[in-house]
Amino acid sequence: MAVSTIVKGPSPTRRAPSRRRRSRYRGSEVAWGVAFVAPAILLFAVMGVYTIGYGFALSFASWNGFTPHWTWVGLRNYTGLLWNDPAYAPIVHQAALNTLWVMIAVPVLTVLASFPLALLLNSARRFAAVLRSVYFLPYVTSGIALYFAWQYVLQPDGAINLLLRSVGLGSLQQPQGFLGNPSTALPTLIVITVWSAVPVSMLLYLAGLQSVDTTLLEAAQIDGAGWWRITRSVLWPLLKPITAIIVLLGLRDSLQGFQTFLIMTNGGPGNHTNVLGLETYRLAFLSHLDTTLGLSSALGWMLFLAAVILAAVNLRVMRRVT
Amino acid sequence: MAPWTRRLGTVMTHRTRARRPLLAVLVGLALAATAACSGGSGGGSPSGKTLVMWTFKQSHVKALQKVAEGFTKETGISVTVQAYGPDDVFLTKVQAAAKTHDLPDLLEVHTNGDDFTFGAAGLLTDLAKDVDSGWLDNYLSQVRVDGTVTDQYYQQSLTKDSKTKGIKLGQRYSVPLTIGTFGIVYANKQRLTAAGITSAPTTWDDFVADLAKVKASQPTGGGISLGLKAPSTGLEWFMQPMAYGLLGPDRFRALWGKDHATNFSAPTGTQVLETYGQVTPYWMPGTQSLDIDAADLAFAQGKSTFDIGGTFTLAFLAQNGFDPANVLTFPIPAPANGAIKDLSLAPFTLTGTSVSATTKNRAGALQWLRYLAKADASATFAKAALDIPPTNLGADPNAAVGPVLGAMINSFGSGPSAYNPGDTTYRPQAYNSGDVGSVLMNYTPLKTQSAAQTGAALTKLINSYWAKQ
Repeated sequence: MAVSTIVKGPSPTRRAPSRRRRSRYRGSEVAWGVAFVAPAILLFAVMGVYTIGYGFALSFASWNGFTPHWTWVGLRNYTGLLWNDPAYAPIVHQAALNTLWVMIAVPVLTVLASFPLALLLNSARRFAAVLRSVYFLPYVTSGIALYFAWQYVLQPDGAINLLLRSVGLGSLQQPQGFLGNPSTALPTLIVITVWSAVPVSMLLYLAGLQSVDTTLLEAAQIDGAGWWRITRSVLWPLLKPITAIIVLLGLRDSLQGFQTFLIMTNGGPGNHTNVLGLETYRLAFLSHLDTTLGLSSALGWMLFLAAVILAAVNLRVMRRVT
Repeated sequence: MAPWTRRLGTVMTHRTRARRPLLAVLVGLALAATAACSGGSGGGSPSGKTLVMWTFKQSHVKALQKVAEGFTKETGISVTVQAYGPDDVFLTKVQAAAKTHDLPDLLEVHTNGDDFTFGAAGLLTDLAKDVDSGWLDNYLSQVRVDGTVTDQYYQQSLTKDSKTKGIKLGQRYSVPLTIGTFGIVYANKQRLTAAGITSAPTTWDDFVADLAKVKASQPTGGGISLGLKAPSTGLEWFMQPMAYGLLGPDRFRALWGKDHATNFSAPTGTQVLETYGQVTPYWMPGTQSLDIDAADLAFAQGKSTFDIGGTFTLAFLAQNGFDPANVLTFPIPAPANGAIKDLSLAPFTLTGTSVSATTKNRAGALQWLRYLAKADASATFAKAALDIPPTNLGADPNAAVGPVLGAMINSFGSGPSAYNPGDTTYRPQAYNSGDVGSVLMNYTPLKTQSAAQTGAALTKLINSYWAKQ
């Protein structure tokens, strides 16, 4: 009983709470606190809460950004994009399929390219810093300039066709350019997206590799494990959390990113490289003042929902692998 | 000092100190609010001595400023012209400026399009009562009504999801600034001569034969460039003029109708598509990946021998170093067995000028617009911008605007044998030419669908727009 009393009652070592404790904060202190926090709260209220609320409300309306009033349409924007509107639904379906391909290919290829590169860089004895900088260049160079450069390289008379021709692989040339052929345009854009994602992923792997306890590797060597066995059975399992992060980042970028697609193809040729992020942008800003801002917002919210589901799935996977 | 007063003083000091930061926040907010309100004075000049005009065409800036020099001498009002391009950037800029009450005095707009949308949103002032018959007499008769809400546009504004909801019959939201048309072929004269071609083709069949001849004499760089990254160009600039010549006005309009016996899914639709498909071997490689400017640039750089554009293309070619004297221009011709033998292109107003509703100098803005409508001022503008003015330049436009622009003006037609790209009355209100053009691209140049499949896909898409009507 005594124990129960001690547990339930106030701690004898604690001061009496409430009034005395509250009185420790003077009015001036409270005011200063409020003053310091207010800008952040205001900023979040305006840039966060207001815009999120505004965007969510807009997804139930029809508007072009100019007319004084919105026209409320209920769930029509959502149903129209998903199945109900024959003008938009087929385009969204094609964009969703393209996005799915990108979401599968980009994370897988990024891991496949960046992990071996990190292993190589980690084992480099000379020029390691220089090589790291070289491999990081794609990330620090301005994206738009790079995408324009890629456009030139991929044209029918561009460097890649020239290279293929000069090394005797003329049959692999693309007479319409790599972005002009519907069957090569999407894979080409995937490769470019991977190319720009590899530097950060490689750096993450490299950081992981450098933090691996060398005694583990030595123990494996003493047990007779070779390079391949150490990589497969020691390093790869240890770096699984990093792989999970890279995959999540790749999925998120593939789902929502569209700048590569906008600059290089604008979804073309003939909508063959349209993705959901780009379609959202096109409905908002490239629809010639049609009343499609609500549709754009609805598509954006559906993308957000998909991203949340992905994050939840990733969280479960992370828990399992770590 | 009595102790109680000292205490009071201390309390007062604490309270005052406590309030200081709050006061600072409040003052900051008040200043921000004041700044926001002061933004409402608009991008236009508050003094009224300077007018600010926004355009989306870089080539118009210097030309307008050149005209403005004369205007300033005459009235004392100066004009500052600012370009924001391309079109979508311009629209976003206007949208943002409208939200912050920071619009300029004047805007260059796409006539019978953006002007009505802006007008419906209350961004523009109605010019109907200001533009009298004396003013209108300066313009060519075909374009005098452009910028005015006619019954057709008013009825369109009443449909569901219309972007011009709110405009009223008879209102005028812009006056013409440039006129022109789509569907003009620019050909490299030297290359044509090298291929043994000395004159412009007069039929579609001759045109295709000329394409073959040039391709034979110039295997690389002998094709057609067109900015198909904007897919509507293939549809509206290339196929439609030919289809109009092939079928005549009524059957042409029926292609966009709901009747499956006459629309794109019908044999006439397949015939149109197959005729258009004759150019497939002659596209410049990769033209489907180029935007409009890049396609024009490819022509200027000699990567193609033919370039499909509009009257506005010449200015861009000249800007990029192509000698206008080396250009042969001709309208997309009709097939020899077509319904129209003497197909020509009718001009329509491409861009107009509008006065914003927030201008502080409406009278000055109107003065500027009236000045721009004068024949000599518009000729000065046309020569500098290499764009066609909407004014009547007399029997010999060559003398006023030079031989190349003059030749284009002389080639304009009217009546049923002239295809007018500005007439969109046969299309549903929700029509999206970019999406329709993407479907057409699958037939040519991409060759992923047959003519019949493409016709069926076009009909399905167009029917979905009609369903919203």
